[in-house]
Amino acid sequence: MAEVGQIALTVVMGGILFAVATFLTRIEDWRSYRPLASGGGYVGERTGRTHHEEKPAGIVRWLTTVDHKDIGMLYGVYGLVAFAFGGVAVLLMRAELAVPEEAFIGANFYNSLLTTHGITMLFLFGTPIIAAFGNYFVPLLIGADDMAFPRINAIAFWLLPPAAILIWAGFPLATLTGGEVEPAQTAWTMYTPLSAEQANPGVDLMLLGLHLSGVSATMGAINFIATIFTERGEEVDWANLDIFSWTMLTQSGLILFAFPLLGSVLVMLLLDRNFGTTFFTVEGGGAVLYQHLFWFFGHPEVYILVLPPMGLVSLILPRFSGRKLFGFKFVVYSTLAIGVLSFGVWAHHMFSVGMDPRIRASFMAVSLAIAIPSAVKVFNWITTMWNGRLRLTAPMLFCIGFVQNFIIGGVTGVFLASIPVDLVLHDTYYVVGHFHFIVMGAIAVAGFAGIYYWFPLYTGRMYQKTLAKIHFWLTMIGSNVTFIAMLVLGYGGMPRRYATYLPQFAALHVVATVGAFVMAFGQLVFVYNLVVSWLEGPRVESGDPWNLEEDGMLTHEWTWFERKRETDLALTDGGERVEDPRTSKDE
Amino acid sequence: MDEQPGLSDEYRKASPWPLFVAFGLAIFEVGIVWPLFPVAVGGLLLFVGSVVGILRESGYIANPWKGLVAASVVCLAAGGLIALTTTGSVHLRGVAILAGGVFGSIWQPESV
Ligand code: HEM
Ligand SMILES: [Cu+2]
Repeated sequence: MAEVGQIALTVVMGGILFAVATFLTRIEDWRSYRPLASGGGYVGERTGRTHHEEKPAGIVRWLTTVDHKDIGMLYGVYGLVAFAFGGVAVLLMRAELAVPEEAFIGANFYNSLLTTHGITMLFLFGTPIIAAFGNYFVPLLIGADDMAFPRINAIAFWLLPPAAILIWAGFPLATLTGGEVEPAQTAWTMYTPLSAEQANPGVDLMLLGLHLSGVSATMGAINFIATIFTERGEEVDWANLDIFSWTMLTQSGLILFAFPLLGSVLVMLLLDRNFGTTFFTVEGGGAVLYQHLFWFFGHPEVYILVLPPMGLVSLILPRFSGRKLFGFKFVVYSTLAIGVLSFGVWAHHMFSVGMDPRIRASFMAVSLAIAIPSAVKVFNWITTMWNGRLRLTAPMLFCIGFVQNFIIGGVTGVFLASIPVDLVLHDTYYVVGHFHFIVMGAIAVAGFAGIYYWFPLYTGRMYQKTLAKIHFWLTMIGSNVTFIAMLVLGYGGMPRRYATYLPQFAALHVVATVGAFVMAFGQLVFVYNLVVSWLEGPRVESGDPWNLEEDGMLTHEWTWFERKRETDLALTDGGERVEDPRTSKDE
Repeated sequence: MDEQPGLSDEYRKASPWPLFVAFGLAIFEVGIVWPLFPVAVGGLLLFVGSVVGILRESGYIANPWKGLVAASVVCLAAGGLIALTTTGSVHLRGVAILAGGVFGSIWQPESV
């Protein structure tokens, strides 16, 4: 049996390699018939001739692209697909939690979904959706031609689909192998000894997938750092670098120090599981070593996820307030401060494991301190809106929603950072409420703000405004209902990560489930709006659909968009040639 | 998304290699961790071949042969070392890397 399997696999692998080689030969042929793109220069670019020759058509274009905007779109689509997958997982979990006893999916499947939900949302939705904005807009905002390393950029993206396949593979494989391989049930923190001792090979697959996603994030981060340092346009210096690029730069720095550590931890765990090493066994380093290593990555990771969305809000919110971002410099400084401090707080996730109390107290102090730069940002956003001329468009609403949810998430975080409070609330739903206010309530909401704000730019069309507002209200109401219920459950002592619970918690769990479904319905509206408006929304009439120029707030990406529109018109109507790009100095 | 004014024309905006670099690495990793000998060898070939391809395309190396031979030698050394110093399933994994090196030295995709 084993030999037949090996031979079959060999044949399959040979077939794959042969197919790849054939495909590559065809691509190379296709290339050699094309004139080289270099002759055309800018004129060719502007009249749109060269580019049709540069990019292959159809699906091959997407498989072979190294253009930062295409890759940004790929990241975006990927992130939204992952968001849907993680969302369906959590709806199944919330359905199970509507009643106290095991009724619907069972505890084991619940644990698998819990694991996959967390990993998917953080690594396959959160990080990639930020990379989507970064790839598409950082080069445009800083006046660069493209990312510094376009091919590495493409490699970083293409590592993600295999990562998702490996992370999700446990579910189909469980059916195919009759339960021999199961989806991992380790929760997203993968604490040892549980994760080291579960024999299930599905855990290995998940660790590998996670490892690949980490390699991808690191390559992307190197690229962003190189791009922002070396590819800025002539008129962009450090003083007028936009706030979103600042946050991407800081985030990339955090990734550079945090993700390789995650990679090492995962390799150590894989070695413990498969190769008989003893990094995290009792005889070896022990479980607490794992927790230290994991959270040394894990806490910076939460700021990796939140800094660029903060940058999005800092960029978008002033544009609908009719005022410049209040205290721009301090927003940048607080970003950098958060970046540095976030490496000094990791043990606040481990207050209850029994560390030396003096060490514990110092982690408490730094954790409380990190709330200060976060609060500086909040005050700056509020002050920007104060007495401003607010225009409550969908992106602006989402920005305000971000601020609201971030305040609740941040304040609950400060409580958790205080040791005596944390010892009571640790591992309860209070923690779940805390980070969901930030991860869903703030990060995802800022993502929506960005998607709506730039929708005209990447589609050339406008979304349906009423639907966008419905999406906003359903998301806001849903998230607050769900996550406030979680905070209250936590005060009541409801432990996290269980499929069943005592009947006294039933009412609040029903509330949380209802809220989750309200939110999910809002996302259906969102997807519908996105697809329909993309296909047949009204075309935007100007390169400045938000009338930013009036307030002197036009940024580079919109001037780029204006030029693109004019080239498109010139192409179709034989109209005028494009003038020099206007430059705008703003934040 | 059909027009990019002002973008660099210094490189071609398409490359077939990144996809295969990524997939090759993923396949190789799975083959090594779940000891699946053919998968590891195939993934290694795909990965190393594509890395050499992308290096040649972007002009870091002129001659793909040199790159492939260098990569094969690295695989032979690493695989040989693991295979010699270990036993059991780890040994098998070393042999897989070794075999990747052997195949890599004799097999050359025409397109590279
Ligand atoms: C104002 C700053 C913040 C402080 C002081 C803070 C504090 C804390 C503390 C002390 C915990 C541990 C609770 C426990 O397990 O007992 C925690 C958990 C968590 N926080 Fe925060 N937090 C802050 C901001 C954030 C942000 C911005 C994010 C996300 C982007 C975040 C995401 C998380 C997550 C995901 C967990 C749970 C990890 C887990 O155990 O699964 N926090 N936070
Ligand atoms: Cu933390």
